[in-house]
Amino acid sequence: MFEPFTDVVPSIFGTLNQGPLTLTLFLHTIIILPMFWIYKSEKKRLEEES
Amino acid sequence: MSKKTVSVWTSIPFWRRSAGWVTGFAAMLLIWLTFDTMGQIAMGTDADLKNGITKRVPGPTVINYKITYEMSDKRGHEVPVIGEKEKFFGRDDWSEEEARELLHLGKLGSQAKNCMNCHTLLGNGAYYAPDLTKAWLDPAWGPNGPYLGMTNSKTKEEAMSKFLQFPSQYPTHERMMPNLGITEKEAMGLVAFLKHMSSIDTNGFPRNFGRMSTDGVTGAIHGK
Repeated sequence: MFEPFTDVVPSIFGTLNQGPLTLTLFLHTIIILPMFWIYKSEKKRLEEES
Repeated sequence: MSKKTVSVWTSIPFWRRSAGWVTGFAAMLLIWLTFDTMGQIAMGTDADLKNGITKRVPGPTVINYKITYEMSDKRGHEVPVIGEKEKFFGRDDWSEEEARELLHLGKLGSQAKNCMNCHTLLGNGAYYAPDLTKAWLDPAWGPNGPYLGMTNSKTKEEAMSKFLQFPSQYPTHERMMPNLGITEKEAMGLVAFLKHMSSIDTNGFPRNFGRMSTDGVTGAIHGK
């Protein structure tokens, strides 16, 4: 999954775009994980309000 | 004390915060990507070429060098390779200013004559006529190709220039190019523009360009 960087100019986007899996994993990690935190904090808030 | 069952999934603030996060993060990522891209597509200089510094878009003086298209096993596609000095319209000492001026003329010419109406340049345009992104590297214009003889030319740039000035005289494609009133000077600029464009590292676009031709000569860009 993580292979040596082969693009012309080094860039974080080049690293993320090595294949479809790398980008998908990155975006899911960065988007879904904070949603767990948002879910938990909203749940806590709703429980305290009720 | 037992907690009351709550429904987070139907809570509007949860979705609002989630949407805020996703939109905000995506916006930041796109702004970052924009600045990253600007660095990637910044044109190199003559000094870069002399010092062998690889840029995605080489400086205009790349027209003084031989450009080949070679398969890179590491990257899994062909990459343009800038080689030895090569004469372009009889000269290999085009200064940065001269080369830039010539490329500029070619770029303006390509816009004025609306090449993209039929051709594709760097992914923009049409596929009615051959893709021009790597047209300079098409073996059909090379020493073993048919177009040198057809245009009675000694060099690739001369052949391309003649073709551009009088395209309706030369059958290079099933859908023949019309005469667009391109002058000799404009044709020179356009050929320089094509040569520079072929030296741009496009991550292998158009895909399989070099491998399309079976006999190493006939029209790689014609997809045959």
